[in-house]
Amino acid sequence: MDKKIFWKRCMSTLAVTVGLTLTLPGAPLLAADKVVKIGNIIPLSGPSATVGEQGKNAREMAVAEINAAGGIASLGGAKLELVYADSESKPEKGVGEAERLINTEKVNVLTGCWNSSVTYPTTAVAERYGVPFLVPVSVADKITEQGFKNVFRIAAKDSWWTRDQFSFIKDMSAEFNTEIKKLAFVYENGDWGQGIAGNWVKLAKAAGYEVVLNEPYPSTTTDLSPVVQKIKRSRPDVLMMVSNAADAILLTNTLAEYRVRLKALISSGGGHADPSFIQAAGKSARYLFDIVEWETDVNKPGAREANEKYKKQYGQNLTGEAVDAYLAMYIIKDALERAASLDPEKIRQALADTQLSDGPGMIVGYDKVVFDEKGQNKEASLVMVQINDIGNGLERITVWPKSARRVGYTPVFPKP
Amino acid sequence: MLYFIEDTINGILMGSIYGLTALGLTIIFGVLKVINFAHGSLLMVGMYVAYWAVALSGVHPYLALVVVIPVMFLFGYLLQDIVIKPIFKAEKDVREPVTVIIVTTGVWYILDNLSLLFFGPQYRSIQDNPLRGKMFELGEMLISVPKLWGCVTALITAAGVYYFFQYTRLGRAIRATSLDRDAASLAGINQYKIYNIAFGIGTAISGIAAITLIPFYNTFPTVGVSFDIKGFIIVVLGGLGSIGGAIVGGIIVGLIESVGPQFMTATWTEAIVYGLFLLVLFVKPSGLFGEKNDW
Repeated sequence: MDKKIFWKRCMSTLAVTVGLTLTLPGAPLLAADKVVKIGNIIPLSGPSATVGEQGKNAREMAVAEINAAGGIASLGGAKLELVYADSESKPEKGVGEAERLINTEKVNVLTGCWNSSVTYPTTAVAERYGVPFLVPVSVADKITEQGFKNVFRIAAKDSWWTRDQFSFIKDMSAEFNTEIKKLAFVYENGDWGQGIAGNWVKLAKAAGYEVVLNEPYPSTTTDLSPVVQKIKRSRPDVLMMVSNAADAILLTNTLAEYRVRLKALISSGGGHADPSFIQAAGKSARYLFDIVEWETDVNKPGAREANEKYKKQYGQNLTGEAVDAYLAMYIIKDALERAASLDPEKIRQALADTQLSDGPGMIVGYDKVVFDEKGQNKEASLVMVQINDIGNGLERITVWPKSARRVGYTPVFPKP
Repeated sequence: MLYFIEDTINGILMGSIYGLTALGLTIIFGVLKVINFAHGSLLMVGMYVAYWAVALSGVHPYLALVVVIPVMFLFGYLLQDIVIKPIFKAEKDVREPVTVIIVTTGVWYILDNLSLLFFGPQYRSIQDNPLRGKMFELGEMLISVPKLWGCVTALITAAGVYYFFQYTRLGRAIRATSLDRDAASLAGINQYKIYNIAFGIGTAISGIAAITLIPFYNTFPTVGVSFDIKGFIIVVLGGLGSIGGAIVGGIIVGLIESVGPQFMTATWTEAIVYGLFLLVLFVKPSGLFGEKNDW
């Protein structure tokens, strides 16, 4: 073995051990105590380090709660132990670390890796060794299309973002008794915009909507009034958008200037979710609907408390990635309770039989975790928010799914 | 037909603002014979100066011209005097100082990253200004008021600069330097001082362009890049060094961008603009209004 790598591994093992000893003071691990090792391959350095850090914090918070509540009862109060490996957002690193965690660390369950490019090859390693791999969030559809038995994904996959935008239109149209017939699609002319718009066209056709405008625009544009004129003249009921930051602001402002009358504006995250969007677009952004993974105000028992606790410990609000990681620990706990064994096949079977609908982990926007035969959580959905001012300045308010809607808020639909 | 008129008006208004953003570039090239790659960054600096002047004082955006023009002139003057002049002197025997072009590229990167460092990546726009979102109704047509102001400002600026170069003593000295810097030096004109002034004027015009943009556009560290590329196309279309050419070139680009999307998707208009750019280079490399002489 290369000397450098050997030392690096020694040091990281040491760091993990020291870290655990430090984080678990006053919890002496007696020889008789059973421990369930959870291996986590996440980006702790490199370009996605911030996301990795959020996932690590959320995992630690959940595991501390589970262990404090007595660990896994069916395994004689066994404690959960987190083992980390840094993927650096590199696929080859993820694969190598998976081998190490399985062979050297002898972990019972694996989770990770956030970057879809890392998760994809890494899940193959877990499948080969028959170790259950729980993916909190990595959106690429193909991860659960590999025919693997040991891979389970909690979060909604890529293609479900557009699916949920259409479910949202349908639900709102029914709830507020407003007919929606004509859609307009406007999107930045990159891979991202083109991909989403391609899905929209198929979904619109399947749902029987008329597409009156399907317009890409150059993402470096300096004037969107020609595009806005086209939107206005095509008279759609709903405008759906994919934009980067500068063009999202320009588009929103120009739509307001030209007084385009629409029943709803629906965006796809990205520029419309940029922290400076609300401030720069100001009141032009009012009543816009945006799609996200999670929002801090979702109406789920324990969500507000969990966010406050997380914020107190780590100084930030929970994010979609953090919530999925947090939930992952509770799903593992639930499966271990039912498996009552550390046999990988029994844990895998228990995960496959998951029917989780309550408990501290269920602070996501949807109501249940049930894995389909491919290992995808088929109940997962995204969250729709509306930008509105209800006395505290413009903010993002969760409106959909209805069960997660902020208490006391009635969405403004159609747009006045 | 009404749609066509509405789009044509928007094209002319937006196009003249594009022309104004390119005007400084064409002037600096005309005098220094240097393509200033930092031009978009100068526009960005102008937008931040204008943004802060308006946001902190709360005045009408166009009143901020009183602050923006002198600040930007001084900024351009000093930038040329301190950063670019030494390179110029080192290359004084070369007819087309290529090193200077590379230096302006460096200035571009440094300015963009400094603004990222100081102001952060946020997109800023002035919420409460009297021009924001104002539309002028002409029958059923809607015409943007801030763009109308921008168009008028562009035309006044171009006319003013033209008058200055044509009829003032300093303007004639600048033109003399532009035509033949050695002969101008022999006639007692301090060529480096003229360069400083010309660079200052070009930068100050970017400041004016910045003022026309802030009522309806966002300010952010890389805002200059998209205007930069347009600026080069406009300058080549209109003719390098030509003041009227910059405005006309801008209006041509504006019209293509505004009227084009009614017949095709908006992304195609970009291809047409670049196609026209290549066509002009093939057929009339000096541009529509450029003089045929050899620089």
